[in-house]
Amino acid sequence: MRRTSTASHGRRDEQASGGLAARWLVLVLLAAAALLASACRGTPEDPTALSWYVNPDNGGQARLAERCSAASGGRYRIRVHELPRDATGQREQLVRRLAARDASIDLVNVDPPFLPELAAAGFLRPFSPREARELAEGMLAAPLRSATWAGSLFAVPLWASTQLLWYRRSVARRAGLDLEAGPVTWAQLVDAAERTGTSVEVQGNRYEGYMVWITALVASAGGEVLLDPAAGDEARPGLDSPAGRAAAQVIRRLAGSPAANPALATADEEVARAAFQGSRGGFMVNWPYVYGAEQEAVAAGALPPAVLDDVGWARYPRVRAELPSRPPLGGIGLAVAAFSRRTALAVEAARCLSSGESQTAYMLDARIPVSRRAVYDDPRIRDRYPMADLIRASIDEAEPRPRTPYYVDVSAATVRTFHPPASVDPDRTPADAARLVVAVLHDRVLL
Amino acid sequence: MSRRGGRLAWTAGALLVAAYALLPVAWIVSLSLKGGDDVYARRFLPAHWTLENYRAVFRTPLFTAALVNSVGISLVSTTISVALAALAAYAIARLEFRGRSWVLGTALAVAMFPVVSIVGPLFDLWRSVGLYDTWPGLVIPYLSFTLPLSIWVLTAHFRQLPWELEEAAAMDGATRWQSFFKVMVPLAAPGVATAAILTFLFAWNDFVFGISLTSTDRARNVPAALAFFTGASQFQHPAAPIAAAAVVVTVPVIALVMLFQRRIVSGLTSGAVKE
Amino acid sequence: MLLVTALPMLRALWLSLFSYRLTLPAARQFVGLRNYAVVLADPLWWQDVRTTVLITAVTVSVELVAGMALALAMHWIPFARRTVRTSILVPYGIVSVVSAFAWRFAFSSETGFVNGWLGLGDFAWFGHRWSALAVLCASEIWKTTPFVALLLLAGLAQVPDELGEAARIDGATAWQRLWRVTLPAMRPAIVVAVLFRTLDAYRVFDGVFVMTSGAQRTESVSFLAYRQVIVRTAIGLGSAVSILLFLSVLLVAAAIVKVSRVDLAGVRGGR
Repeated sequence: MRRTSTASHGRRDEQASGGLAARWLVLVLLAAAALLASACRGTPEDPTALSWYVNPDNGGQARLAERCSAASGGRYRIRVHELPRDATGQREQLVRRLAARDASIDLVNVDPPFLPELAAAGFLRPFSPREARELAEGMLAAPLRSATWAGSLFAVPLWASTQLLWYRRSVARRAGLDLEAGPVTWAQLVDAAERTGTSVEVQGNRYEGYMVWITALVASAGGEVLLDPAAGDEARPGLDSPAGRAAAQVIRRLAGSPAANPALATADEEVARAAFQGSRGGFMVNWPYVYGAEQEAVAAGALPPAVLDDVGWARYPRVRAELPSRPPLGGIGLAVAAFSRRTALAVEAARCLSSGESQTAYMLDARIPVSRRAVYDDPRIRDRYPMADLIRASIDEAEPRPRTPYYVDVSAATVRTFHPPASVDPDRTPADAARLVVAVLHDRVLL
Repeated sequence: MSRRGGRLAWTAGALLVAAYALLPVAWIVSLSLKGGDDVYARRFLPAHWTLENYRAVFRTPLFTAALVNSVGISLVSTTISVALAALAAYAIARLEFRGRSWVLGTALAVAMFPVVSIVGPLFDLWRSVGLYDTWPGLVIPYLSFTLPLSIWVLTAHFRQLPWELEEAAAMDGATRWQSFFKVMVPLAAPGVATAAILTFLFAWNDFVFGISLTSTDRARNVPAALAFFTGASQFQHPAAPIAAAAVVVTVPVIALVMLFQRRIVSGLTSGAVKE
Repeated sequence: MLLVTALPMLRALWLSLFSYRLTLPAARQFVGLRNYAVVLADPLWWQDVRTTVLITAVTVSVELVAGMALALAMHWIPFARRTVRTSILVPYGIVSVVSAFAWRFAFSSETGFVNGWLGLGDFAWFGHRWSALAVLCASEIWKTTPFVALLLLAGLAQVPDELGEAARIDGATAWQRLWRVTLPAMRPAIVVAVLFRTLDAYRVFDGVFVMTSGAQRTESVSFLAYRQVIVRTAIGLGSAVSILLFLSVLLVAAAIVKVSRVDLAGVRGGR
């Protein structure tokens, strides 16, 4: 500070001002000290502690972790850490920390579409062939397929989910549609809904749920979104094909029909459920959680019991009458992080967490379908889920979303071209989407 | 305008303003009192009032820890930021040194960089230095982003204050420090209060840093914790618990604002004080 | 302080010269300015810039007017000061993501009351560009007008009353006093408010993220950067978008400072 020409005598006054300044300085220093103290707080290392990073679920997985920790006889203790609620947030956290080679992550929940990306990046530890054989025993086919990459098993499927066709029995009767007799096609559904003045609810918002629908349609029509996903950024899209065009035709038919939800372009799973439960509800494709949610709503008095009694379920609709439908596949796999320092313990924990008892307990507790075949034969499960067989069969024959390390790009490009549903044109949209996917894979466009 | 007409106009205006400001807040409170599927009832008020969301919010350590973190980090950031800003603003407004506008300009430029891209490299930096998931790890970026505004607000204030006051103080034998603390700061109280509130609310509202630079209850702040709230299932959006958490979190802010609002308008020695 | 933010900025600048994905670190390769070429040639970038400029222009102008009105109210109101002032400042204290959710739930056709109150039936506010942008702007304006009001109030409180008194004695009406005396005296505060508010508005993110996720052409440039960097982990391309966003923000700031011709580091008061 350069001095200017002011007199500066009066040392006695410096004491007084020094007091005030000193007080302020002390305050600031205290604040800084508090900061440093909190930074230096360390935690002692516990050799039996395993960190399991899960998607939040109201405590179900925490309870599972306690069971297995107790059953291990002190060999390991699983500590559950939660990730953010939305899938993008979860992936963001995991990718960032695994890219930084974080050694504090032992077990991690992986969403199957993102598994190839994490596996190809070297963030996950593949199970050895012997471990894989053991862990894969008794698992349903499709979830197992979606947990493998480049010939190795990277995650053991924990839960698996699929979409069913839910319908109001009264509406089906009025429309003359007998869903118990045999499979229906999308065209039949839309016709029936138009005839009865009701709606067909789907997820058309610009998000992952829309990709789920598109993939299921393309697969049900006999095609694939990506022809050779393992080719990395040289993969060729399969959208510009008869199957892709058939899928686009279904979307166009529904979006342009009075049977669609007026807010189709922003409809997600909950919007679909709310509309299905409403006065115009007719048909809906959605995950099995809706059944449990409806039961809770009835118990809370927010939904008349008559509506719940009116709800029926059937296999996911077909696109072509002669081809069986390929329902969508969801779920979670349990993987071991590549940088974990306790891989042996982690694998052991994985074995316990995916065992029959654990899965049965979880399915009863958290109302989420699991991936083990035998669990669906348990009488308690069959009691709680009258549609247990249908769920199992649908999961077994489900079609996973494209399994490529570039899944995020492929999904975003496809959804962007196909959105809003009302703008889909079977002659143009699949071809546009295919072109965009190729451009995105080669880093030639923003998304 | 008659006295009664004037009063009526002011009352009407005040009511309008309050309604505009508080309607969405009332909506949030109403959301927080709705249970389960009532959220889909499409009405403003809940069909059945329930406190279950508040109970749920306080049951989890996730939220209570986040509350402590938010309050602590915001207070610390505010104290340090205002202190530094006051010193810097004084230097800029009153002293001659070259590159004055450069300092202001650079500080401003730094605060304008998109946070989204800083987060990645900052995450790597903090991990290597050991500040990841700590209070300083959040306070330091907050300081960088709030100092420019605080400095500018305080500079504008100091600039407006007449130079004669300081000259008078100097003639009475005060040193620079004394004139700073005893004369300038009290007069710039409106500016200091403004800068303090703005900094506090920036730290309070921050989401991006909170979610990327923390991983446990040690340092996670409230907006980041809200991203971890769950609904009854994977797809059900926990609107009501989040609204309840928001109400809990806003009450201290309202209290703070009520305390500070007097300070903000308390006047200058020469200006009229409309109290 | 500056160093802490400068280092990551420089690293982002460095990364923007690469074709780099966080999940494929081995495939990283130097491509020079190609990322910038890709961004500037992409119609999505320009569409987002247009959207962002639109949002900024609308919100800042409305906030300036409303903020001024609120500042005057806070300063002059003869009774119930504390209630009025507190209620005006409350919106700024609500956590921004919560506010965005509240607005989204209020306007969505399944959970909201707005359609009921306005008799709009099933109108999907977020299904069309203009209605979605309207809700987005309304929520931003509601939330940040207190910020502008506060800055303007601080400036208003500094205006000496003698000026107003002198004008009144000269026979000026309240409106004339406002326009010709108060506002010009508040010029530095107004410029600071406009500057900071514009810079913040240009980087709008929370509302877009919560309400539309960028659909229906409501995406802002910040959100575009977020999608490249965080969602796609295409760090190279995303850093290029961020640098370009930063440069445009700098440009806007420089323009404002130039146009207002106020030297904020300024001359000493009173001399």
